[in-house]
Amino acid sequence: MTPFLASGAIFGIWNWTDAIIRILIIVLVMTVVVVYLTYGERKVIARFQQRLGPTRTGPAGLLQGLADALKLVAKEDLRPATADRWVFEFAPYATFIPVLMVLVVLPFAEDWGVRNLALGMFFVFAVLGLNIVGMLMAGLGSGNKFALLGGIRAAAQMISYEIPLVLSLLSVAMIARTLDLNAIAAGQSFTPESGQHAPYVVLQPLAFLIFFTAMLSELHRAPFDIPVAESEIVGGYFVEYSGIRWSMFQLTEYASMWAWSVFGSVVFLGGWAVPDTHTWAGPDWAWQLGITLIKSLAWIIAIMWIRVTVPRLRIDQLMSFCWKVLLPLALAQLLANGFILEYDGPDILLTLTSALGAVALLALIIFRAVKRPKSKLVGTYRQVQVSTP
Amino acid sequence: MATEVLWWIFAAIVVGTSLGVVFSRSVIHSAIFLIGSLASVGAMYVFLNVEFLALVQFLIYGGAVTVLILLALMLTRMGAGGRLERANGPQAPFALLVGGGLMAVLIGVAVRTAWPNNTSDTPRAISINQVSNGLFVDYGAPFVLASALLLVALIGAIILARQEDE
Repeated sequence: MTPFLASGAIFGIWNWTDAIIRILIIVLVMTVVVVYLTYGERKVIARFQQRLGPTRTGPAGLLQGLADALKLVAKEDLRPATADRWVFEFAPYATFIPVLMVLVVLPFAEDWGVRNLALGMFFVFAVLGLNIVGMLMAGLGSGNKFALLGGIRAAAQMISYEIPLVLSLLSVAMIARTLDLNAIAAGQSFTPESGQHAPYVVLQPLAFLIFFTAMLSELHRAPFDIPVAESEIVGGYFVEYSGIRWSMFQLTEYASMWAWSVFGSVVFLGGWAVPDTHTWAGPDWAWQLGITLIKSLAWIIAIMWIRVTVPRLRIDQLMSFCWKVLLPLALAQLLANGFILEYDGPDILLTLTSALGAVALLALIIFRAVKRPKSKLVGTYRQVQVSTP
Repeated sequence: MATEVLWWIFAAIVVGTSLGVVFSRSVIHSAIFLIGSLASVGAMYVFLNVEFLALVQFLIYGGAVTVLILLALMLTRMGAGGRLERANGPQAPFALLVGGGLMAVLIGVAVRTAWPNNTSDTPRAISINQVSNGLFVDYGAPFVLASALLLVALIGAIILARQEDE
């Protein structure tokens, strides 16, 4: 048995059928979750905007997602004449497969995942890096300038935001002293031997803020939906897709939103664990599944809430925010954590330093928001002023 | 048994996609085949019990390097109609020379090396703690030096790229 695979080898002859069955279950659950996330998102956003959202299809519009899915499957699958055939057709799969691979390591309850890897957290961000390839393929293969622009924007944005994302996760991993997602969740519940029982969002509020921001960017959710901005580049890298292939992109988007929510709630909110309790009436797994569900649901609602609240950023604002604000703060946090952990500082010191950084970040954002801009053209836009003929 | 079959499947994928890299007529197809090839090498690392290396292979080569290649291609090699240039320039014979030379050297070395033909010498599972101890404790100084070198390269690249702003 290798340390990589806490519960046996993936392809060992004794449990490969078990792995396949678990993956099938995860895929089925994911499909249902995605269908109801699209419905839920429309309902939630409608409520924020004082509308009703879908109401006609089934009771309270509950069948809307299914109806949409049926419509998308029945639509004609068009391929533009200028498209690069194979690149165009494989792009949706290349985007989807990494998200599916991430679902393999997520613990939904204690040891309830497809596989529990000792390097689980590292696996998540190693595999999600491959996600960009599919988007670039879609952008390049479509033979469309808007798609190409969307692909370039997606790649630039995702590569940049991966760095603060990974750094913020590493500062949690430093405290947890493990990369195993189950152990990270367990470290946030009460166990007599560890004594550690605060969720990492309390110990590392700055890492939480950085992670949440970078995650929104990786997901292309507002205010970072620059690669898929309808009003600028008519939908981004998947403009040319229709029918089933378009719905693959949609599936990827919502599945990764779900995956990130579960992952984020495991790393920062404790996943299936609750502080200071380790005995429940009834089976543990039922409670744990419910707790994971509540935490990830709260996470998803927060994402939707931000989407309806904040307007879209410009690409240069996005980049400078990543490289000039998030990255230095993430590095500072990593450094502070290193000192505190090396000299066995108390937990409260971790909270204090991180909270100081979080307050600084929020203060900077508020200061930038209320400050009056010096000129109307800022940043790189100054260079592209065109004189009217 | 299942592991062995999968090992050979991945080996076949590596060879096939590598041939695809060389023989594709468009640069984009080559880059995409390269991703497949590097990711399959990463998958083979899993079977060799070096999982950390496998994930690093996915992260660095699968994610970062090839995306960088694709991005550079998008920004520089796009023709007028949004289509990409073909990769058959006048430097093709030199490429053949370099590639052929490298292949000859590698095959020569592989054939002449006396490999330890010992089945008990199979790779052991290495935990991430061992990796980090080796990297940050045993070989701490080379690691810091390498990171300083990378930092210098980074700053140099930024200075070179920003010169036209002045």
